[in-house]
Amino acid sequence: MGHVLIDQEGKPVFAASTGRMEWNHTGSWRYMRPRYENKLPPCTQGCPTHEKIPQYFAQVKRGDYRGAWEIILEDNPLPGVCGRVCYHPCEDVCNRGEFDERIAINALERFVADQNLDRRYPASFRQPSNGVNIAIVGSGPAGLSAAYQLARRGTAVTIFEAAAEPGGMLRLGIPEYRLPRHILDKEIHDIQSLGVEIRTGQRLGTDITLEDLQNRFDAVILALGAYRGRAVDLPGRHLKGVRSALDFLRELNTHQPVDLPERVTVIGGGNTAIDAARSARRLGADVTILYRRSRTEMPAVREEIEAALEEGIDLKECCTPVEVLGDESVRGLRWIKTRLGEPDDSGRRRPIPIPGSEAVLETGAVLLAIGELPELESLPALGTTGSRIAVNDHYQTNLEGVYACGDVADGPVGTVVDAIATGKATALAVLHSLLDQKPAANQPPVVTYDQINLDYFRHQSRPALPHLDVRDAVQSFTEVNQTLSPDTAEQEAVRCFSCGTCIECDLCLIYCPDVAITRGSNGVPYVINYDFCKGCGVCVEECPREAMTFEEELSCTN
Amino acid sequence: MSQIPVSVPAQEIMGSGHVACPGCGAAMAMRNALKVLGPKTVVVIPACCWSVIDGPTPHSVVGVPVIHTAFETAAITATGVRAGLRARGEEDVNVMAWAGDGGTFDIGFQSLSGAAERNEDIIYVCYDNEAYMNTGIQRSSATPWGAWTTTTPVNNPKSRPKKNIVDALAAHHIPYIATASVAYPEDLVKKFERAKSIRGMRFIHILSPCPPGWKSVPEQSIRISRLAVKSRVFPLFEVLDGWKYRLTQDPEPVPVNEYLRLQGRFRHLTPEAIDQIQQDVDSRWNQLQQRIASSF
Repeated sequence: MGHVLIDQEGKPVFAASTGRMEWNHTGSWRYMRPRYENKLPPCTQGCPTHEKIPQYFAQVKRGDYRGAWEIILEDNPLPGVCGRVCYHPCEDVCNRGEFDERIAINALERFVADQNLDRRYPASFRQPSNGVNIAIVGSGPAGLSAAYQLARRGTAVTIFEAAAEPGGMLRLGIPEYRLPRHILDKEIHDIQSLGVEIRTGQRLGTDITLEDLQNRFDAVILALGAYRGRAVDLPGRHLKGVRSALDFLRELNTHQPVDLPERVTVIGGGNTAIDAARSARRLGADVTILYRRSRTEMPAVREEIEAALEEGIDLKECCTPVEVLGDESVRGLRWIKTRLGEPDDSGRRRPIPIPGSEAVLETGAVLLAIGELPELESLPALGTTGSRIAVNDHYQTNLEGVYACGDVADGPVGTVVDAIATGKATALAVLHSLLDQKPAANQPPVVTYDQINLDYFRHQSRPALPHLDVRDAVQSFTEVNQTLSPDTAEQEAVRCFSCGTCIECDLCLIYCPDVAITRGSNGVPYVINYDFCKGCGVCVEECPREAMTFEEELSCTN
Repeated sequence: MSQIPVSVPAQEIMGSGHVACPGCGAAMAMRNALKVLGPKTVVVIPACCWSVIDGPTPHSVVGVPVIHTAFETAAITATGVRAGLRARGEEDVNVMAWAGDGGTFDIGFQSLSGAAERNEDIIYVCYDNEAYMNTGIQRSSATPWGAWTTTTPVNNPKSRPKKNIVDALAAHHIPYIATASVAYPEDLVKKFERAKSIRGMRFIHILSPCPPGWKSVPEQSIRISRLAVKSRVFPLFEVLDGWKYRLTQDPEPVPVNEYLRLQGRFRHLTPEAIDQIQQDVDSRWNQLQQRIASSF
């Protein structure tokens, strides 16, 4: 302090303090200790693959789309696919939904993928060989995800695919208006760029055998999917024109000629039913969907049901078929109204036919979409749960070195993201078993809505997602939904609470009464100086997103 | 921006190692005030918490020259510092008197009133923790109606309303008066910037949460300060030239009990007493609105 008057002997002329107070380590007062600790956002927990959503949003905000993509790729090699077809359970649990409207996570995932269509994986994705050689049967989402996770860790992977082209249900089941094939091809090429070899036209039991694969590889992952339509006990089911909806989609998606009558009825309420109905609509048919429960019980993605209705598809809720009518070919369908009774084993309310409510629907085709099961005839030695391959918590079957994931295995089935998630988990389990590579440690707690400090947020609505006009949409198989603009994507990423994930908003630093928080370096946002932190906890309390933890001070010294 | 952004100047004048209690609002207030005023500032501190917080001689945490002075003399000492600086030709130095509510509302009021009437060129800041906290939580004329202090126990809590210091200062027709809150640091910083740009007497009244005196938990100091503003117990506004009123923050209002219930000093209040406080707050808010409406 240069204002102290000095006399001729160099002494101050009056008492003046010239020393600071940094000698006084007030940290010794502390009995509670704050620290930075990111928590688990509900979206990340809700995503079966546990994509790090707030983390990649942070890159979107910065305009670093490659960085965002690489964060998604840690957990999911198919963001372009998932950004289009995922049923986004992440959004169902979004904390922002309780405040105003849930974040458009699925649309942002797609945005990130679409910004990277011309990019390839970074060089760091190619690791030196770990000496392990794995065979995967099936190149659907489960097989591709497992192959990707293995290859990124230096594993040699060969995929055996029965169809002529890789992709499994993504290519054979999902129509092009939801998933353009250049997106799928790009993401499969990326996986192949890691050295994953995909041999097409190789059907298990015909072209290859499980024993052969067991002999030639260190482990075998079965990811065959589920392609056989569930059997149905419906009089008239053998008439010409009654068929599996999935077979219809498969013919359509492999560009075989499809002959469809003017009036088509689809039976079922899942995504296959909606896909078949909307595809038939695009081929010019008048389409009716018959579902035995109400619309709220339909397992299909909500937005898909809404789109189907907008496209003029007739949805008959609480209706179940009784008999297919016709001599050789289908002429009509007798159906009956149902009411919903008590919940059944699946937790959904059981439909009960209402006597005397029968009616007849005129139709030239009946497409059955009441679920698909795997074909396990070529795998007699495997233990099953009846319809699917039995696996333990580590995705191991009863056969040594043979694993199973995706729809062929018991567990969460029927969606792309669940297949990707089990594929990833299986890959990690295989490496754990062969190389003792341990999966990641315990997860931190999940951030709940009441832990968000709402004083720092203002209401803002979710953006409308761009899509084709319905009149144009039903004319062709052009993709219906479109990509968000960069501006909208950025705004939506900013709208995210970023639950449990520090976004460097500076509030902790600004409020600290003890000037004990400074900015960090090398990716560490802030540093707490425990020499001075008195443990008041204002930083923890004010953190808008629960990215700090306050806990008892257990050390006597700093 | 979805999250309301908050930013304050990066420069740190005040240091660490001070002896304010954990969660002290007065420490937060000083830190942000000095971020604006900068190193060319002299601080005058009468008897108050900050006499202690600053540290023992020969040490000081403030980072600029500080003059510790007697209880009743903050304003007049600052006046003298300004006169001395002027005599030395130093016109670019900020002179800030920094006093608690005791030294402002009660003991220092005479010298404050004199300096205000003469329109002395100083910034006078009252960090108001609503009692004599440093000496053992005795009531001051800033203690709100109904509050517990050691001299207004719960069976006989304070029976007189808080003195309206802003009205008292406005009656002196000084160029600039503002209320500020540590929970709104950006607003607080703007007010110090405005004060810095004006010559003459400037008065800034900062509500300063005191965990030991308010019987609140330290981590809630900011939350409580924010609720004081949201409940309109402590509205954030400016008064120019003693009559032009302008509101600077107008958040979605909450009932006063949201503010009161986090503080042990109000825990004894009956529902009727809380209703009474709500009515008083509402009528003062209406009065403020009328003044704002007739200001411009």
